Formats: sequence, C-alpha cells, structure tokens
Amino acid sequence: MRASYRLFLFLFAFYAIVGGVYTYMGGEPLGVTAIFLSAGLALIIGYYLWFINRRTGGVLPEDNPNALIADGAGELGFYSPHSWWPLPVGLSATAAGVGLVVGWWLTLIAVGALIISVMGFVLEYERPSNSPFGADSHH
Amino acid sequence: MGNMEFSGIITPMSSTVLTPPRVNRPNVVAVGTIVWLASELMFFAALFAMYFTTRAVQGPEKWAEGVEFLNIPFSALNTTVLVLSSVTCQFGVFAAERFQNARTGALWQLSKWGMREWFALTFAMGAFFIGGQVFEYAELVHEGLTISSAPYGSVFYLATGFHGLHVTGGLIAFLIVMIRVSKARRFGHSQATTAIVVSYYWHFVDIVWIALFSAIYLVQ
Repeated sequence: MRASYRLFLFLFAFYAIVGGVYTYMGGEPLGVTAIFLSAGLALIIGYYLWFINRRTGGVLPEDNPNALIADGAGELGFYSPHSWWPLPVGLSATAAGVGLVVGWWLTLIAVGALIISVMGFVLEYERPSNSPFGADSHH
Repeated sequence: MGNMEFSGIITPMSSTVLTPPRVNRPNVVAVGTIVWLASELMFFAALFAMYFTTRAVQGPEKWAEGVEFLNIPFSALNTTVLVLSSVTCQFGVFAAERFQNARTGALWQLSKWGMREWFALTFAMGAFFIGGQVFEYAELVHEGLTISSAPYGSVFYLATGFHGLHVTGGLIAFLIVMIRVSKARRFGHSQATTAIVVSYYWHFVDIVWIALFSAIYLVQ
C-alpha cells in the first residue's frame, strides 16, 4: 500500500504548491478554491491510506513481488448476491430529481420513498431469519 | 492453500488446515467511504468557489449589506453544539469497537455507555443544530434576506442549506446504524464498520461546517 499513499500524498503536495503559486500570481477565487480543495481531496485519501498502512503493517500480497495468487485468497468483504432494493432506491432518487422540474409535491413523496428504500437496502441482511451468513458476517 | 503439498501424510480435515493465510486487508467499506468523502469535498468546493466568486464580483459594500443580517453569537452556539457532537460520536465509535450496543450501568455513568447512548446523544445534538439552522433561516427571511432577495442571500442559503441537507442525511444514517445494530443477532465487525464509516461522514460534515462558518461568519 506504500505506492498508493505516496501517490496521493504526492498529489496533495503538487496541488498545494500549485495553489500557492496560483494565489501568489493573483489567481481569482474560483481557481484558488478549486486547487486548494483538490489538495484536500488527495490529502483525505492519502492520509487514510498512510494511516491504514501503518496500522495493518502494510504487507498486502499485491505489494510483494514474490507473492502467489493464492496469498490473496480470503474474504474481501460482504457482497450481496442478489437484491431488488437498488431498484426502488434508484427510482425514488430519480423521482426526487424529476420533482424539482415537475413540482415540489413529487420531490416530497419521492424523499419519503427514498428513505424507505434506503432503509430496506441497508437492513436487508439484518433480519436474523433471512441472514445468509449466520450470526456474524465477518470472520 | 498454495502451500499445501502432498507430503505422504494424510492429515485429518480440520478448519485450521483449510483456513487461508490471514491477510490484514484494509476494510473495503471504510476505504470506499473515504474515497466518496473526498469526492464530497469537491462538491463543497463548488459551493465555496461560488461563495468566494460572488463575493469578489459583488464587492465589499454590497457584501456588507448581506453580512449585516447574520446573527453571529447564535450561529456560534449552534456551531459549538455540532463540534461537540463529533466528540460524542467518537465515543460511540469507541463503544462500537468494543461491540457494546447498550449501556452496562446507570444512565448517568457515562463510562458505561454503549454505542446506542452515544449515538442517540449525537443525534440529539445534530437535530439541535438543524433546528437552530431552521430558526436562523426563519429569522433571516423575516428580516428580508431570502434566497432571491440578493446574490448574498442566494450563496448563503445554497452553501449552508446544502450543508444542512448533509447533516440531515447524517441524522438518518445514525438512525439506520442504531436500527441495524438492534436488528442484528450479534454486534459483529460488519455492524461496527457501519458505525465507524458513519462517524467518518459525521466528522467530515463537521469539518466542512467549521470551514463554512469561518468563511461566512468570521471572515465574511
């Protein structure tokens, strides 16, 4: 992960320097804001990767030239095998956007529908009787 | 299982033999949240750029007319509550990392609180902030500063309003975490991850507010 965080911290330094030069050369506020917050964007990711790298020891198989494919085996995370919930989430988000053009009443209804479908989406695997992975998803 | 070679000895099948070497991977949910938050920063970059550009184009005299409407002490109080809610949120994360949902002591024993109590307090403080913002908007509209009254009103309501929507989204996220944990059969790593990434979001929204507050209320 060293290459990952170095890449983003380099981008942070680059944008910060460019932002400083641009401000010094009398840049207008739009560009100053955009360049400095681009530095912030790179810093958030770079700092997080550096932090995680330090905490986990940072020896991922993909960083090790002698690693085997099998070394990367194991659980990457929980991925839903099948779900209908993204459809109502997408439909209600669309309706909320269309409502801004058609009329506020539609947005109000759609926001309610969006909250319900987001709830369904995130709580789908929390019903114990329906849980595909038993008591605990993580090993 | 790449290291398994036939050695002539047949070992009994057990879970220890079949377990692949443990890789300490970064949590994909957490990394994904951070990348998304970085893109959220660019969304707010557009709002900041809009604010500063309008300020530069309007000139100091016009700007001062808009700034006069602001109730800075009230907003400072509201800001303090939001900043402190990040602290209570972090205590909730510490409880989630212990996989502790409910408190183990009396209500006044803060050290025995679980994630539920800390997040409920955070929710209340976030709701206080939104309530305060609605009150502030009502006062400003009453005094004559609306979204269409002046360019200052437009950028003020757009910047603080989009931030308020983010805080509201965070409040819903806290509700979802609390419902999720209460519905789960066990408080495990996946529930703790949800709590942690919601806290990332909350801290982010809090930091953005500090920047917005500094720009709009302090620097003006």
